[in-house]
Amino acid sequence: MIALALIIVALPLVPALAAALTGRARTLGLISAAAGTSALALAIALAIDLSTGHPVHALSGFIYLDPLSGFFLATIALVVALSSFGSAAYLRAEEERGELSSLQVRLYFIFFALFASMMLGSFETGNLGLLWVLIEASTLASCVLVGLEAKAVSLEAAWKYIIISSFGVTMALVGTLFLYYAAGNLTGSPTEHLTWSFLFAHAGALQHQSLRLAFLLVLIGYGTKVGLAPMHTWLPDAHSEAPSPASAMLSAALLNTGMYAIIRFQALTKPALGAGYASHALLIFGFASVLVGALFIVLRGNFKRMFAYSSIEQMGIIAIALGFGGTLGFYGALLQILTHAIGKAVLFLTSGDIVLRYRTRLIDEVRGVLTIAPLTGAVLLLAAVAVGGSPPFGLFLSEFTIVRAGLQRSSVVLVAALLLLIAIVFIALVGAASDMALGAAPARPTGGPAYTERSSRILAAAPLLAGLAVLLLLGLWIPNGLNTLIMHSIHAISG
Amino acid sequence: MLISAAIEHLSAASTEGVLLTMAAVAMLLCAFACLGSKLFDRYVTYYGLQSIVLSFAAAVVALHEHEAGLWVLAALTFLVKGIGIPYGTRHFLIERFALKRDVALSTGLSSSLILGAFLTAFAFLVIRAGTVPDALVSQATVPISTAIILLGALCMVVRRHTIAQLIGWLIIENGVFLGAITIVATFPFIVEAGVFLDLVAAVLIMIAFVSGLARQLAEASAPQLRQLSE
Repeated sequence: MIALALIIVALPLVPALAAALTGRARTLGLISAAAGTSALALAIALAIDLSTGHPVHALSGFIYLDPLSGFFLATIALVVALSSFGSAAYLRAEEERGELSSLQVRLYFIFFALFASMMLGSFETGNLGLLWVLIEASTLASCVLVGLEAKAVSLEAAWKYIIISSFGVTMALVGTLFLYYAAGNLTGSPTEHLTWSFLFAHAGALQHQSLRLAFLLVLIGYGTKVGLAPMHTWLPDAHSEAPSPASAMLSAALLNTGMYAIIRFQALTKPALGAGYASHALLIFGFASVLVGALFIVLRGNFKRMFAYSSIEQMGIIAIALGFGGTLGFYGALLQILTHAIGKAVLFLTSGDIVLRYRTRLIDEVRGVLTIAPLTGAVLLLAAVAVGGSPPFGLFLSEFTIVRAGLQRSSVVLVAALLLLIAIVFIALVGAASDMALGAAPARPTGGPAYTERSSRILAAAPLLAGLAVLLLLGLWIPNGLNTLIMHSIHAISG
Repeated sequence: MLISAAIEHLSAASTEGVLLTMAAVAMLLCAFACLGSKLFDRYVTYYGLQSIVLSFAAAVVALHEHEAGLWVLAALTFLVKGIGIPYGTRHFLIERFALKRDVALSTGLSSSLILGAFLTAFAFLVIRAGTVPDALVSQATVPISTAIILLGALCMVVRRHTIAQLIGWLIIENGVFLGAITIVATFPFIVEAGVFLDLVAAVLIMIAFVSGLARQLAEASAPQLRQLSE
């Protein structure tokens, strides 16, 4: 099983090696799609193995896999697979138009590979120090993707991103240090004092004062990566300036990696500080994020920014679900992580097709997508409805679960406020998407067809259709295996 | 391992304790010096100086703990943070783009120094409240490293040039490192090495971005970065 886990981390690196040999987007894209698909297949196999509930560890905790790792591995591997198909099509189109040089194409595939591999790796380590190292490394790899186009505006976004996230993640490092300090009185080796499973087993004996500080610092630090308000300011810029498949990775994979770290630390605080401490902090940041998301999503400017604000709102909902806690709350949070990841990946990949077609990112300049590109238009509408949280898609089910958890464990007022904000976001998101999809097509289609070749069109359409199909499936029926995996994940973090 | 050998229990009055406290104070002064300057060349010099003091502190801890890993870290700190990064920043950014002084100060020099003094006092007030046990060396170094972190953050806020923000972040990182070696010297080496590697990668990427911005904007100053404000 360990070997399998290592292969999953190594597979996405294959395109990076290939990029040393060739700078052609066509070849690299196909290799990347193949690597992404095989990593996904292996990750699902590993998740099924892990769903029995028995953790696996090696190298004194530096490698540690439990059902929660399996769940995140499968989710992120799915996002990586979808985005690598998207990259194959998008980069080929950009190369043909002469927008990206051969060096930029190489850089894209190298850093896309590193980004994917570091994120997948972070779910496989039980050492919280190494987790920090991998998460920071994934930030660095992704910020190269944000600044890839090397225009003043994309460099600005990349600068903001690297400086804010590096600062944030440094706070998470300080938090990790305080956690290590909190474990000072325990028996065991120094390495064990940073190992999640050891700390979790002795969580009741951690020093309270340091643990309190550690959790808050970690929540702010990794919360910066998750995009929790008020540390979210890098997020809309980075998401709008990155090439669209990279935006999909940022929104659907990177944010969840930060959330994974927060979930691990939350589990450590419960025995010593009680469930309330972490809960209250998560609820405050969660509501702030949903509020910021809802307030800014109504600005109808750039549609990629709008999707980014929707991500902030969704991460807020997940934080709120973790704050509600209990089996229902965690179930809703994990399901929301999975469904949001798929929905947002589809939405950002669609936005890539629209950008290629219209050569603009402004909502008001995009009209009649359904007429010009029926498939893209239809996916845009359906994905917006899905991410908005409407049935019959998966996000409805997860948000419904979260609302039930809130009613069961928290106050009606909080739940009502949450529902109101979700409704605002739904109206804004679906309103903008329908304006873009419907309406009269502009007289001069600005960019020509997004993809000239049939094979590119297939590469671009495959992740959209596959993602929507999975979302629909999850809205109608939760497979038994997934249910077991989520239940065992909850068990793994609640003891 | 001998209990008395652990740095967590090192008393402030021992020789190592005095040396570490002095190193911490010198690092705090470097952070203030950086805050009180607006020439890019000075930022980099003070940062280099601070890193060299930090490598000395790491060597003191390494001597005390007899840890090979810490010696390696001390040497790396000296070579990379003390010499490499200041040289790289000077060579690839400041001289290449003929950058001289930061013109985009959001507060005056004196008011930022006063703010810095308040932050230092704040760090002492907060940390003294019982997080660290009495009479240990960490009682002096942890508040100082917190103060260095806050001063670095202040640098990032009041000095708006991208180079100043880069150096501000590096000062924060030095503060974290100082806190780390004095309260938990036994942090696993592989993790420390990973942290170090990330730092170097981050600096390289940041230098690339700043030079890209300098090429496009003439002055790579953060206030010019306002196309994406909303």
